[in-house]
Amino acid sequence: MTGPVGGAASTWTFLRSFLIQGSWNYHTMLGSGFAFAMLPALRDLHRDDPDALDAAVRRHLEHFNAHPYLSDLALGAAVRLEYDGADPDTVRRFKTAVRGPLGSIGDSLVWAAWLPAVSLAALALFWLGVPGGLSALFFVLVYNVGHIGLRVWGFRVGLTEGHAVASRLARVRFGVWTDRIRGGAALLLGVVAGAVLAGDQGLWAAGPPWAGVGAFTFGTGLIMGQRAWRPAAAAVVAAVVAIAIWGIR
Amino acid sequence: MPVLLYRVDERLIHGQVVVGWGAQLRPDRYVIVDPGLVASEWEQDLYRLGAGDASVEFVDVEGAREALPAWESDPRGSIVLTRDIATMYELARGGTMEGAEVNLGGMHHGPDRMQVLTYLHLTPEDQLQLQKLSEEEGVTISARDLPGAHRVGLKALVG
Amino acid sequence: MISDLAALGMLGGVLALDATSVGQFMVSRPLVAGALAGSLLGDPTAGVLVGAVLELYLLVAFPSGGARFPEGATATVVAVAASTGVDGAGALPLAVAAGLLWGQVGGFSNTLQREVTSRFVPEPSSRSVGSARVNGAHLFAIALDFARGGVVTLTGAALARFAVAQLAPTWPMGPAGSWGLVLVGGAVSGGILLRSLGGFGRRGLLFAAGLIVGLFGARLL
Repeated sequence: MTGPVGGAASTWTFLRSFLIQGSWNYHTMLGSGFAFAMLPALRDLHRDDPDALDAAVRRHLEHFNAHPYLSDLALGAAVRLEYDGADPDTVRRFKTAVRGPLGSIGDSLVWAAWLPAVSLAALALFWLGVPGGLSALFFVLVYNVGHIGLRVWGFRVGLTEGHAVASRLARVRFGVWTDRIRGGAALLLGVVAGAVLAGDQGLWAAGPPWAGVGAFTFGTGLIMGQRAWRPAAAAVVAAVVAIAIWGIR
Repeated sequence: MPVLLYRVDERLIHGQVVVGWGAQLRPDRYVIVDPGLVASEWEQDLYRLGAGDASVEFVDVEGAREALPAWESDPRGSIVLTRDIATMYELARGGTMEGAEVNLGGMHHGPDRMQVLTYLHLTPEDQLQLQKLSEEEGVTISARDLPGAHRVGLKALVG
Repeated sequence: MISDLAALGMLGGVLALDATSVGQFMVSRPLVAGALAGSLLGDPTAGVLVGAVLELYLLVAFPSGGARFPEGATATVVAVAASTGVDGAGALPLAVAAGLLWGQVGGFSNTLQREVTSRFVPEPSSRSVGSARVNGAHLFAIALDFARGGVVTLTGAALARFAVAQLAPTWPMGPAGSWGLVLVGGAVSGGILLRSLGGFGRRGLLFAAGLIVGLFGARLL
């Protein structure tokens, strides 16, 4: 007997979604991870027909890519579609259409807003004198309330809406939330910059010239963007090596 | 420049297109030429989610061939996307896109597809159609996943 | 000593998994990785300090797609291992440099791992593929990633520990300058991040307000 949609098999699929990037590869990207996560639900559906199970697994191996947290939404919807007996072409078309938006929404909401915002909050605490272990604990707890909340929400929306998730997603206004979090991150970035500048182990304490150099490198990053990172890191490493060699002499 | 970019990309509207190309070219609309999507509202809704403030239109090849001159003279900028090279070839047949440049984005691994670039896998049929697009239809072909990336010309793609 | 390194290797393997393969709880971020590595070596405070510096550097490194940035967890565990128990002002800059360098090795090994995984991952077009094969290949890829993270971290920790122990005693710079050198490199990431958050034009006011809070907060607290 097949269980209900949203039953134990669906829960196992949700838990397996935490491993969806486990076989990240250049051929199908998250394709094999998607099939891996779908397995409990597919086993439940095709428990009396191993051939049908293998065929269903193969369909879910096809190319898939999305933000890992929001891939739960696609997984939930795929579980719903399979339990509803949707034809394979509908499932395939759904996964093809949903991967792009889930990727771009997740990248801007999580990687470019939530992660730096919580990371900056923890750094601000640390530089303002909160013990490091507590700052790190703060980061892990706050970050994962958002992380796991997003996964649970996405999987549920997928399970209830099936291929009609778009109308629900459009109502959430991810853009507005992303913008707010980014605003908060800018504020926290200011706090960290101020504390690194003026703190006991900060740039001003190292000597006013260091504060000047710090302002200059900050400005360089602001103007040049990502391109500035590698040269800057290479310059620091090169300077450290040069100074160390100077010391041996 | 009313059609800002013609692009072949399996994923149609996604991060690279919207964040990469969209941020640079600032299109007012995305036009997706794909007969399979014209009648499917729920799929259209999904693709629209990723497009930000720009509008998204879905047309079949015939509709696109008729509308091309209007898009070209429209002051609003468009990015025209197809899922595969065959559709872009149909769009350009008879010189409708003469002088334009077609950008090749992501085409993933699949049966009969040979890896040409990390993000580009082509079938022999694809390569033949690219050559025809260039030689018979007067279209310039190049591959580049993101605006800042290295531009790869036709010779390296079919050679 | 040897058991220290083995423990660091295990930690490196676990944290490498967190970054991509398993969960993405972000315990692989430098601040957390630093606290964990420091606790393991009996000096959590020193570990967090190194982690906080590297967190500053890697604020702009997101775990999406390519490996253009150093692998944060590897860099941090290696840097903490290299600086713990070493006296002198040179410990921090030397360890941070070693971490940034070895983090690149971590990033490269990650790319290599993905190439390897691409070879054994089941193909959707293959008729012989079934559920057992999908399960097995996926779990094997995760095990491989754990081993990769462990070996890379362990090797890096051993090498960096040796190098820093050799170079720290003759480090010619004072503590203030050593800190300054490390922090100005991290400031670049701050600028890059402000740009990606909308730039000074859009976020200038918020940033300035935060800056005042930070300046006063650091003096008062």
